[in-house]
Amino acid sequence: MGKIGTHKLKSKIDFIIRVAGEGGEGVMSCGELFAKAVARTSYHVFTFITYPTEMKGGYAMTQIRIKDITIYSMGSFVDCLVAFNQEAYDKSIPYLKEGGILIYDPEFAKIDESKKVIKYPIPFSKIAVDTIGRPLGKNVVVLGILSHIYGLEHPGLEKLIDDRYGSKGEKVVEGNIKALKAGADAAAKIGVITVMDLSKSEPAAEDYMFISGNQAVALGAIAAGCRFSAGYPLTPATSIFETLSKYLPLVGGRTIQMEDEIAAISAIIGASFGGEKVITPTSGPGIQLMAEQLSLASMLELPIVVVDVQRGGPSTGLPTKTEQGDVKFAVYGAAGESPRIILAPTNVEDTFYQTIRAFNLAEKYQMPVILLTDQSIGYRKATVKMPDFAKIFMVDKYDRKAKVKIPNAEHIDLVQRQIPTEEELKDYKRYRDTKTGISPIARPGTPDGQYLATGLEHDEYGKTNQGPENHLKMSKKRFRKLEEVSKAFEKNPMETYGDPNVRIGIMGWGSTEGAIREARYLAELQGIKIRHLHPHTISPLPERQISKFLHRLKHLIIVEENLTGQFSHFIKAKFGVNPIEVHKCEGMPFTSDEIYNAIMKVARIADEDNITSS
Amino acid sequence: MKTISQAVKTYKSKTIKPVWCPGCGDYGVLAALDKTFKALEFKPEDIAIVSGIGCSGRFSHYFNSYSLHGTHGRALPTATGLKTVRPDLHVVTIGGDGDGLSIGGGHIAHAARKNVDLTYIILDNNVYGMTKGQSSPTTPLEYKTKTAPYGVYEEALNPIAMFLAYNIGYIARTTSTDSKGLLSILTEAIQHKGFSMVYVMSPCVTYSVLPYAKLKDIVAPLPEDHDTSDKMSAFKYAYSDEHMYTGVFYKEEKSCLNERLQEVFNIAKISKTTSEIMAEFK
Repeated sequence: MGKIGTHKLKSKIDFIIRVAGEGGEGVMSCGELFAKAVARTSYHVFTFITYPTEMKGGYAMTQIRIKDITIYSMGSFVDCLVAFNQEAYDKSIPYLKEGGILIYDPEFAKIDESKKVIKYPIPFSKIAVDTIGRPLGKNVVVLGILSHIYGLEHPGLEKLIDDRYGSKGEKVVEGNIKALKAGADAAAKIGVITVMDLSKSEPAAEDYMFISGNQAVALGAIAAGCRFSAGYPLTPATSIFETLSKYLPLVGGRTIQMEDEIAAISAIIGASFGGEKVITPTSGPGIQLMAEQLSLASMLELPIVVVDVQRGGPSTGLPTKTEQGDVKFAVYGAAGESPRIILAPTNVEDTFYQTIRAFNLAEKYQMPVILLTDQSIGYRKATVKMPDFAKIFMVDKYDRKAKVKIPNAEHIDLVQRQIPTEEELKDYKRYRDTKTGISPIARPGTPDGQYLATGLEHDEYGKTNQGPENHLKMSKKRFRKLEEVSKAFEKNPMETYGDPNVRIGIMGWGSTEGAIREARYLAELQGIKIRHLHPHTISPLPERQISKFLHRLKHLIIVEENLTGQFSHFIKAKFGVNPIEVHKCEGMPFTSDEIYNAIMKVARIADEDNITSS
Repeated sequence: MKTISQAVKTYKSKTIKPVWCPGCGDYGVLAALDKTFKALEFKPEDIAIVSGIGCSGRFSHYFNSYSLHGTHGRALPTATGLKTVRPDLHVVTIGGDGDGLSIGGGHIAHAARKNVDLTYIILDNNVYGMTKGQSSPTTPLEYKTKTAPYGVYEEALNPIAMFLAYNIGYIARTTSTDSKGLLSILTEAIQHKGFSMVYVMSPCVTYSVLPYAKLKDIVAPLPEDHDTSDKMSAFKYAYSDEHMYTGVFYKEEKSCLNERLQEVFNIAKISKTTSEIMAEFK
């Protein structure tokens, strides 16, 4: 194993590679093929993608991180940069570590010769033209160069090329295989270093999937028993609906593309009324349109799951970039007060299990559950441990007291909707005002279960009643369910990490978890210990857990990818604290370095406080 | 097993009585729909009524069925989702000229494209009745309403011509007073495979844009020689200045959404387990 200049490797493997170019040049497919090949080894892989909104042109890059242990973020600086053109070079070079490897096409990029990096000019565009007669194969030439640097065997890569391009015909596959070899040969010829030999790595010991966050939502939905989805294409959520459209029919499910997001959520409400587990995926601009129907689902007490893969806003904003800007809308975007549950997954694997959890919560508490992911989770790919399919348990539909565990790879409970007993059907009250607020739902087709589900205020039978007492009683009934959710959340294990006795705490939500975790590790290396709380349930919040976390803290940092600190507002309002807010509103996720720097600043303030008080 | 002799009241809500104004055309349609269900011998638990907002929205309250009274304009996509997962249910959707043609008007074209197997009844009273007398998409030009006190400044829609252009496979128009015509059209429409549109002129007695007497004057049954498979002939009668024709304008048998989705299963061929699907992502 070689060294990369002054950047010495520690005992563990941690490589970050960035392939940067122009949209339409095959940057994504090059990165994906490379990552897929690595995913088949015992190493963990994590990819991050950013691409322009336009179909062709504009800066696009894919970043791949390879590690021997779980990966939490895309990393801050890269070990190896491949630049397809000038813009890609200019935008990416600040992120290349000193001593890192720079591979560029001298025909399309002029570089700063004074940079202390290992430079390999390789004319990959020309190589592609010479080999297969077209410049478009250059991404596969680059794949060949990377295979040389990281010791990836060609038979495996050729198989992946065949899988990907097979549908385009034998000629295309052959051309790409030639380009792959030409790239590797060119690298060998000019003596490009080999930094590791992945071909010597053991194959993955356990079963792993290599999936994006969006695929994790689709697969999680299928695993949860969802059999209907209605959708409308919206970047960056579209691939969820595409994946569902491909795979749901294979398990007997159905998907229909609707004319807009309002129609999509309406269709899933209708299907949920019909007794099916349902989902619609969208992003910010879509969830805005869905607001009225979210309230309807709260009022009809029908289980629905809505996924918001957040992107930069407001309005059309930054369709292909990430932001945590929809949390307030998700919680409060409604006319009137309508109970709903908001979950925020933290990474790709977590997205799979939180999606299953979203269905469990929706079916149990009969209300909309909004799953708040974002572009950075949705488009990133990571290795995800395959769940144990022998450990999936159905919760009985008549069991009103079932304890439902948070799903994980070792244990998955699947909630089935409560239905009325024969006794209850004798005088069926669909909206019976029970202790928990939860009242069984009759499935259409059940004799004597007929009822009216109306968006008008109604009594326990469903008959409209707008009297003052009834409105109060039924509002309380609907919100009692949310109190039950809250109670259940408090019983979950604390979502805190780090030393419980320290005075500096950090909070975040959603996709920032990995970067915060890595920043905490970095700080610990410097002797700075902090506590980290990262609730998965944004609404209702686990209030007692948060109080407990805040109790001993002197300094609280809240990290968010937006401008105004929306989540922070909740914490400030509910707990009367005055946090140090760290915001990033650039369309890009936090790196661990950025959070680490914030932690160190606060640590210095804390240190000064200690000096003045002593 | 329930028997053929199920009384019409089997289909009526046991507790909720209609609250429309006395003389409202909607009563006639309600009675006809009860009779239709009886004639078709449907079990009440197999019927699903989906409605939106407005006087027509209350329709879903008055049946002993599984009923969903949703939001303004969204009855059609809601019913589409329901029918997609529950092909076994008889789904009837009801809207008015505001709910169906204004706020929800955009959904009709797409329900038609999907040819979802349900019946959509639009009750046209040429006015927003429940909100007390504002212009609707079918209020005539220059007619004075509360939101157009100097006269309506928009042209009225021609819904039948629109439905023909959308390629809806069953299109009929009738009036709320023609109980015989309603029964036969509703029976045929509900049995029609695919999306069927029953357009009913149902006068408002409180905001009387189109009084019964005037309706009686302009209505005429489609000529007997009208060929219901001839779309051009149907267009001709839809655009008639002379009469408001009633009867079946157009009929066409084609595959419906559930059949097409079944075809998706056939093309996908292999049925898989969840674990087999996930193995594809290794």
